[in-house]
Amino acid sequence: MKTDNDQRVAGRGLRQSMSGLHTWAGLLLGWLLYAMFLTGTVSYFKEELSQWMRPELPRLAQLPDPAVVAQRVADEIGMLAPGTAQWSLRLPDTRNNAVNAFWRTSARGPGQRGFEEARFDPVTGHKVVSRDTLGGEVFYRFHFQFYYMPVVWGRWLAGIAAMFMLVAIVAGVITHKKIFTDFFTFRWGRGQRSWLDAHNALSVFGLPFHIMITYTGLVTLMALYMPWGERAAFKTPAERQQLAAELSAFSQPGKPSGDKLPLASVEEMVRQAQARWGRDNVGRVNANNPGDATARIAVTRGDDARVSMSPQYMEFDGATGKLLAVHDGVGAAAETRGVLYALHLGRFSDVTTRWLYFLVSLMGTAMVGTGLVMWTVKRRAKLADPARPHLGFRLVERLNIASIAGLSIAMTAFLWGNRLLPLTLENRAYAEIDLFFTVWALTLLHALLRPAKAAWVEQLWAAAALLALLPVLNALTTQRPLWHSLATGDWVFAGVDLMCWALAALHGVLALRTARHGVGFGRTTRPRNAEPRSDDRGAAAAAATGEAAR
Amino acid sequence: MMHAVAQALCLIGFAALALATRRPQHEIIGRSLPRGPVSTLRLAGAAALLIALAVLVEGKDWGLGLVAFSGHTTLAAAIVYGALIGYVQAVARRARS
Amino acid sequence: MIALTHRARSTGALLARIVAALLGGYALAALVSVAALALPISKPQAVLTGQLASFAVYTAAVIWVFAVRSAWKAWAGLLIVAAALAPLAWSVS
Repeated sequence: MKTDNDQRVAGRGLRQSMSGLHTWAGLLLGWLLYAMFLTGTVSYFKEELSQWMRPELPRLAQLPDPAVVAQRVADEIGMLAPGTAQWSLRLPDTRNNAVNAFWRTSARGPGQRGFEEARFDPVTGHKVVSRDTLGGEVFYRFHFQFYYMPVVWGRWLAGIAAMFMLVAIVAGVITHKKIFTDFFTFRWGRGQRSWLDAHNALSVFGLPFHIMITYTGLVTLMALYMPWGERAAFKTPAERQQLAAELSAFSQPGKPSGDKLPLASVEEMVRQAQARWGRDNVGRVNANNPGDATARIAVTRGDDARVSMSPQYMEFDGATGKLLAVHDGVGAAAETRGVLYALHLGRFSDVTTRWLYFLVSLMGTAMVGTGLVMWTVKRRAKLADPARPHLGFRLVERLNIASIAGLSIAMTAFLWGNRLLPLTLENRAYAEIDLFFTVWALTLLHALLRPAKAAWVEQLWAAAALLALLPVLNALTTQRPLWHSLATGDWVFAGVDLMCWALAALHGVLALRTARHGVGFGRTTRPRNAEPRSDDRGAAAAAATGEAAR
Repeated sequence: MMHAVAQALCLIGFAALALATRRPQHEIIGRSLPRGPVSTLRLAGAAALLIALAVLVEGKDWGLGLVAFSGHTTLAAAIVYGALIGYVQAVARRARS
Repeated sequence: MIALTHRARSTGALLARIVAALLGGYALAALVSVAALALPISKPQAVLTGQLASFAVYTAAVIWVFAVRSAWKAWAGLLIVAAALAPLAWSVS
């Protein structure tokens, strides 16, 4: 493969070399990209999933006044963590039934900063007790930093994968010349050609989204990936602080004066923010040095009605309650970053837009999946002995099974673990994560041991069964079965249950089709000459993508 | 409501654009359309998409409007695509039986 | 023998391209992100502009490396752009 690659580059023009680039950039990190895409897609409903995974926390049918909630929780934190240098709380909204808060604890060792976090009931202000779980955070964190490795390594790995994705997208667009005239072409039941059409369709329909999501993904962590400008420009911490202020409403607490002064009314500060941004559009309340004469409170704007994550907040003197400044704009580049960041996270979206995000992102997942499968489909027809494929082929084929069908099983098993693991288990939140990866590893083992087609079918059925039975398990293990959630209009719980069934149906259909046709097992051997020549696209597509197979 | 209108407009738009390409024409009416109707279909399709964009931007301002538009167009294109596949399959099945 | 040298040479050329794409592309992107400091805007904005643009530069560099006819040309292109940017980056750091 490698040896004639360069001849191809030298001899056969741009589209062929781009096709090779597309194929190999896509394949090398394709399994990782598939997992990043799927966990990222699910993370658009991170808050809802977190609620589902903490069934003990009651549904918030009506949102209490955020100003009152802020005061309640601020008082509670004041009692739990007197003398903390910083706390921050996020007010509940339509997607959150609890107040998430964290605060600094005294350093555990030199150079270390300790944080503690908790959830509070917005109605009582008290800490809520629920099963020990990271909830939807698990898929979210996996999406950009993975597990079982230092966070920074994981983020670099995610960044490299995203760069490969970006290159694969651009190379794919160049490869596929007739991208728009072929927009609505699908040739059914033609093996390799059908896979190509499906892959093209999934890629082209969502192309603006795929480019946006990949580029903005890099932007979210760009300070890590491209620190050189910052290092060259800023020599002192004060200068760096200038940059930080363009990016976030958080600031490092200054040195406390030592004069104790109680915090002024947080409720009053939030009221002023509400007057500015709307009753339910206040995001966080951050306090630096609360209880000291130098206390500062920042009340930030919520995510609604604004496609930007750039910091907008009101800054108050914590001791007197006086408004010190309103930060409502940053520089042009910082605002651009804020917009791109927000586009990636999609937190601003209303329910409909969120579902659109979810569906298009699911198409992106399918794009990566069909791309991975296509690699084997194209090569199967050319195998010297299809009964005994070479090692590289077998490896890709088995990894495909475990990373596509296996991931569905593992993610669902993780949700089963949330309901079934004993509540008293030590480190239960991490036991859930271990379960996720153990099941995933087992699917790889299964894929390696079984014949490829059988492995696909069995794993797809397993995923379908686990998904279909999850609402049943939920009904048996919680007080919030589907009929109850439907009757009370609890759309978070009903939504997860119904989505499980929809996804179970999808996996069932895929299992049936695979059992009948195989994943490109049957009809791919149709010789290319048999393509009707009137089909001008067939020739172009074969020239563009078929070459990569050699 | 605004979302429903936008989605409907996008569906109309992509259906028109699909009919303006060769393959769906052959699959549905069995021949290529002459140039005149093709340009009309293209124009109508583009116009429907633009109106959908206008509806969304009017309702949600530019930032959110563009995001929603991108989502609606993708979904609509996928639905039209799926419908074409379903249509061709159904025709093929009828022809066999 | 001839086949062997040919094989070694084309493998070498491919490796040269891969290195140019992965490392050369990153170096060029990093250089652009530093050179952006020469823009007539405030420092924090310039830093962010450089960071935002760097990934597009990286992508373009990788595409260039695999689009041109030879590995020599791929490296030459990267080096010429780098040489043009170097004085800018030097002046601000």
